[in-house]
Amino acid sequence: MKSPLAPAILLAAALLPGLVHGAASVEGTVTLPPSHTAPVMNQRYEIVSEGGTLSTSPPLAVVYLEGAFPRPADPPTRQVAQKDFAFVPALLPVQTGTRVEFPNLDDTYHNIFSYSPAKRFDLGRYRSDERPVPAQVFDAAGLVVLRCDIHEHMRGLILVLDTPYFVVTEPSGRYRLGGLPAGHYLLKVWLTSRTTLERPVDLQDGVTLHADFP
Amino acid sequence: MTPPPERPPTGFARFRVKLLVAMMLVVSLVTALLLVYAQRDVAANVQREFEREFQGELASLHAAEEIRYAMLAERCRALARRPRIHAALEDNALDLLYPSARDELADLMDQDGRPPPDAIPYVFHARFYRFLDATGRVLSPPDAQSAGRLTPGEEAQLTLPHSPDRLQIGYLLRESPGPDRTIDEVVAMPIVSTETGGVIAALVLGFKPFELGGRQSAAGLQSSLWLHGRLWLPSLPAEAQLALGRQVAAATAAAGGLETSFAAPVAGAPSLLFCRLLNPGSPFPPAYEVCIYPLAASLLRQRTLTWRFVSVGALVLIGAFAASQFFSRRLSRPVEKLAVDSEENRTQRQRAEAALELTSQELQRSARFSADASHQLKTPVTVLRAGLEELLAGENLSPETREEVAALVHQTFRLTSVIEDLLLLSRMDAGRLQIDFAPVNLIPLLEGWVDDLGALPDGPEFAIETDYPAELVIAGEKRYATLILQNLLENARKYNRPGGRIRITARVDDGWGVLVIGNTGRPIAPGAQEHIFERFHRGSAGENIPGHGLGLNLARELARLHGGDLRLARSDDTWTEFEVRFRLAQPAPAPVSAPNPA
Repeated sequence: MKSPLAPAILLAAALLPGLVHGAASVEGTVTLPPSHTAPVMNQRYEIVSEGGTLSTSPPLAVVYLEGAFPRPADPPTRQVAQKDFAFVPALLPVQTGTRVEFPNLDDTYHNIFSYSPAKRFDLGRYRSDERPVPAQVFDAAGLVVLRCDIHEHMRGLILVLDTPYFVVTEPSGRYRLGGLPAGHYLLKVWLTSRTTLERPVDLQDGVTLHADFP
Repeated sequence: MTPPPERPPTGFARFRVKLLVAMMLVVSLVTALLLVYAQRDVAANVQREFEREFQGELASLHAAEEIRYAMLAERCRALARRPRIHAALEDNALDLLYPSARDELADLMDQDGRPPPDAIPYVFHARFYRFLDATGRVLSPPDAQSAGRLTPGEEAQLTLPHSPDRLQIGYLLRESPGPDRTIDEVVAMPIVSTETGGVIAALVLGFKPFELGGRQSAAGLQSSLWLHGRLWLPSLPAEAQLALGRQVAAATAAAGGLETSFAAPVAGAPSLLFCRLLNPGSPFPPAYEVCIYPLAASLLRQRTLTWRFVSVGALVLIGAFAASQFFSRRLSRPVEKLAVDSEENRTQRQRAEAALELTSQELQRSARFSADASHQLKTPVTVLRAGLEELLAGENLSPETREEVAALVHQTFRLTSVIEDLLLLSRMDAGRLQIDFAPVNLIPLLEGWVDDLGALPDGPEFAIETDYPAELVIAGEKRYATLILQNLLENARKYNRPGGRIRITARVDDGWGVLVIGNTGRPIAPGAQEHIFERFHRGSAGENIPGHGLGLNLARELARLHGGDLRLARSDDTWTEFEVRFRLAQPAPAPVSAPNPA
């Protein structure tokens, strides 16, 4: 998804305001919480809980634009796989109405369920050969904690948002959110299950706004 | 030998009684000491046994409780790890908590009054369970059927100020319409989040409380609970429960609250109450385990024991009494014999002393009599002789008359001689004759007698042989030595037969001066030989021979007084011989014939 050209595109967007009509952008850096683990190559992300607060490790944030936006007619289908006894991806932001599939890529049973108020479901026990792949449609906004009834350590997060404009930061905390409608909005950053930062933004077409958190 | 007295002396009976009493005292004392010691020992053993039994029962009870607590704590930890429970608690899905827990706790629960399968020990038969949230508030179950029914009031009793951070014990007074209210033991365990490590909830389980030995044990021990100021013992009326509850509260408050014991009447019976705080530090109301130990049974047991010991002691004492009786008899027998012997000895001695005294008195009396008689006789004899001699001196006597008177005068001399002999003997008998020892030469005395014999008017009718040294000096008094010789020589002359002979021999023999006088007198009969030295004894052949039977006796007594002796040396048909021996004078004057005086 991320191409080496992205910084160049961002730069061009900044230098040429108004060139891209109806496509406001916001970019910046989110100061992520300090990581507790040494960065390694191909690091897997996992959900950690500290004092009851869920977050990813290494830290990631979800930047999204809050506001009332029409639902897409045909919401996309996303996937949260269970691989090597972990949810992949560990943190998945989706727009309400999105259908999420939960393929089991391990050789053993998993039993995905959630008691979260945003979405309660229980997929029951199934293996990788389960067809169709069990899926759920997430209709209500909120944080959904995914658990496996068999493997108590497994945690996954699905952040169900009412907006279609959201992006997961890079591990460094940098983000770019493009294709935004112009207008006055609240730009929010989900850091942990208990921490959400926000700032009002005025978006203008063709203008790339720089917004750093905090 | 005196026959043994039939009864021992009275002092001896006292001795036996004393011995018996002393033995009984010792035996009683030893028995009493042993019994007291044994009784104490046994009583202590009984007490220890009871305490062991009691402690054992309590210990098994507590051990079962510990197992239950440990099991429940483990169950709680496992429960907290269960993702669904975890999710329900952490993801704010409390409505899903009881449904999620139902399957997890199903094996603990009495289902509709039916106990769980036999595989689950009875201690894990829970009557209800509830979850408390982190603030200690009861989370009411949506479905009371599976979690066990509780009234709102009962649920309110379970509410805590906050969720406990460790296992806590409490007691729940069940609300029931009847008078019999039951009490459930409540175990509250924290549910610790595996994510946060903090207490996110608590699980409260209600059990039927443990009962000691099924309400009433063999030792009569009863266990009950003290809760909310009242002792919940169903066998007691409500007022008594309240009264005892107040006593327990006072006693435990005085003892500092943890553990105490006190005696109080329970249902009219004296009892000992052991109180132990069951839930120290618990946020639930304090509850005491009250074990009631009826002292009546223990007292009865002790009394029975004491009576048993007393009867054993009595038996032992009776046995000991019999044994003492036996042994005192056995032991006193030698003493008795000794006492009897000594009594006999004393009697005999007294008798002998009395006899001796009597004899001595008689002897004294007879000696005095002899002396008095001699003295009294001497004077008339002298007067008689003087009168006769005066008559002889007269001119006008016919020759026949003169001869008669002369014979009478001669008789007076005999009479005087007898009187003097008697006087001498009586002095000897009275022990008043003392020999004044001096050297006496016997030879001149012998020669003088031989000369006198030759000068007799009718002349000797027999031959006299002499064989003696020039000197034989003995230790003695001259007049008595002369008397001895005169008596022997007179006898030798008197009892000789006509034409016979007399031999006089004197010699020194081993420190003795020995004089032997023999004659050819008629033999003395063997049966009479031993009597010839007795007073007034005269040989059968001597009726016509003048004498009065005192000579030999006097001579022997005198010889013995001199330290010597007189004996009949020989008496046969041809020869009769007397031997008298005297001690030689110690500083003997050197005999002429002895050229070498030692």
